[in-house]
Amino acid sequence: MSPREFFINPADYGLPTRDELVGYRIWDNHFHGFASTNPIEQYERNNFFVERMGIERSIAQEVGGTLEKPLAPYAFDAEILKILERDKDRLSGRTPIDPAYPEESCAKIEKWIRDGPCIGIKYWLSTEKGITCSHPNNDPIMRLAAELQVHVYVHTWLKVGGTPRLPGGDNGESESTPMDLAKLAQRFPQVSLICGHSGGDWELGVRAIRPHKNVLLEFSGSDPHSGMVEYAIRELGVDRLVWGGHGPSRSYATELGKVLDADISKSDRMKIFGGNLRRICAPIFRKKGLKIEL
Amino acid sequence: MKPIDRRSFLKNSLLGAAAVSVAAQPVARSAPATASSGSPGIIDTNVNLFDWPFRKLKYRDTKALVAKLKKHRIIEAWAGSFEALLLKDMNGVNTRLAAECREHGPGFLVPFGSVNLAWPDWEEDVRRCHEVHKMPGLRIYPGYQPFDLDHPAMESLVKMTAERGLILQVVFGMEDPRVHHPIINVGPVTFAPLLNAVVSTQNAKVELVHFAAPIRGEDLAQLMTKTNAVLDISRVEGNGGIGRMIGSITGLPSARVPVERIVFGSHAPYFPVETAILKLIESPLDAQQLHAIMQGNARRLLPRA
Repeated sequence: MSPREFFINPADYGLPTRDELVGYRIWDNHFHGFASTNPIEQYERNNFFVERMGIERSIAQEVGGTLEKPLAPYAFDAEILKILERDKDRLSGRTPIDPAYPEESCAKIEKWIRDGPCIGIKYWLSTEKGITCSHPNNDPIMRLAAELQVHVYVHTWLKVGGTPRLPGGDNGESESTPMDLAKLAQRFPQVSLICGHSGGDWELGVRAIRPHKNVLLEFSGSDPHSGMVEYAIRELGVDRLVWGGHGPSRSYATELGKVLDADISKSDRMKIFGGNLRRICAPIFRKKGLKIEL
Repeated sequence: MKPIDRRSFLKNSLLGAAAVSVAAQPVARSAPATASSGSPGIIDTNVNLFDWPFRKLKYRDTKALVAKLKKHRIIEAWAGSFEALLLKDMNGVNTRLAAECREHGPGFLVPFGSVNLAWPDWEEDVRRCHEVHKMPGLRIYPGYQPFDLDHPAMESLVKMTAERGLILQVVFGMEDPRVHHPIINVGPVTFAPLLNAVVSTQNAKVELVHFAAPIRGEDLAQLMTKTNAVLDISRVEGNGGIGRMIGSITGLPSARVPVERIVFGSHAPYFPVETAILKLIESPLDAQQLHAIMQGNARRLLPRA
């Protein structure tokens, strides 16, 4: 079956057709196409679904190294670079860093962003206990991000657990909470930050980042909850939401459903699906001479 | 496959059940944004009514939920009750559920009452659901209801529902445990005892609801080979998840679950109903497979609403 063959018409089910999805100009802020023991095969296979669901551009979260070992050379780096060039019309990349090692992280940003193809910085966990995104180690990284005018994506969660049992009590030892991100945002209001996974628990994550206008919220990688997007719009404003697919481990269906559930205008949907992300990506795209239509 | 024009597709679709074998070609590469009466409706086997205990859901009002489901071409919805999670008066829970379905969705909302194996005299609740409320099935929520599937009464429940011809829906989760309210501590549901109970009961009609298939591959294989149990799609994740499950994606391992064992479930109003329908669109499924998941398999389980 080709990616554009459908045996039911989505419009008959109150959903956008593929053409309408394309019209939304969807930029996937959270793409794990290369997160695999066989990243090239996975990436190529996933393109079926990118095409099928009308995704305009995907931002790969791991270009240069892996999330687990962001500062180590990766056997597939060269092949991934070739794909980035081949598919530059629909694929971009962030490079992961490790705040336990700020100097090495800055060197990696120089290589992969200033002198390389990447358009953003990705924070996952740190390899050192307690080094979350609010730790002072992050400051030189943020200063460099500000200089390069690149945004920073931060994985955040609030996993319930611990004693006493509370949200965040079961987080990993270096896993940032949305409250950690809020502290970082306060120190660097000039840097666009993305609160990944809506903080894990969106009702609390939204509250944590609410005062900091430089923080955008991304919903991917968590279950779809009816009403979550409207809640975030009420508390943050529609200009602070970005969309992520988190494929291939999560499905585009899951993530698209979150936004389509919301009773909002087409123009607001377009902001969430891609317009807001394009706005914060525009400076680095222009610096690199990459074409970007807002 | 060569796309056909829209008129041909509709003509084929209107042939009803025969359309399943006839319309083996896609709608079109770029379908127009208009509704057609010939598209198959969907039987949603997984919705819940009333209030989710920890948040005011957008479609908590039954009238609004029914309108929302119908907007998305749901033609029948098997409805449980959020009240069954925490309340002790199960007869009250089931009576309200039956009344709500009658008032807001006669012929559309099909009530699936609940019993709580941890409460005394749950057998009487089974009888009342069947004989008083004329429900076609029951839904249990292990974990929220304080028992696991290794409860000594589990086998009795499976046998009792089978003898009465009732469908037994076993719910494997309601929300991501990482975001539970701190006051609750719901553990994972143990799968193996259910397999044993169903295998030992002839004619058991069991649906695994919101089932994430985290179990060992061999357990799932046994469930498929030794029982007639079905799974809903509400918890299926990953791009092309349904296609991967039934083996319709080229280059990936073959089916773990035959298509005739999968039914549609949205988990609305907690999940957006859009999500489950989009899973059908995202996966490469042909007309026959779609029809089976959208209504055929559920209709086989419950021939009439």
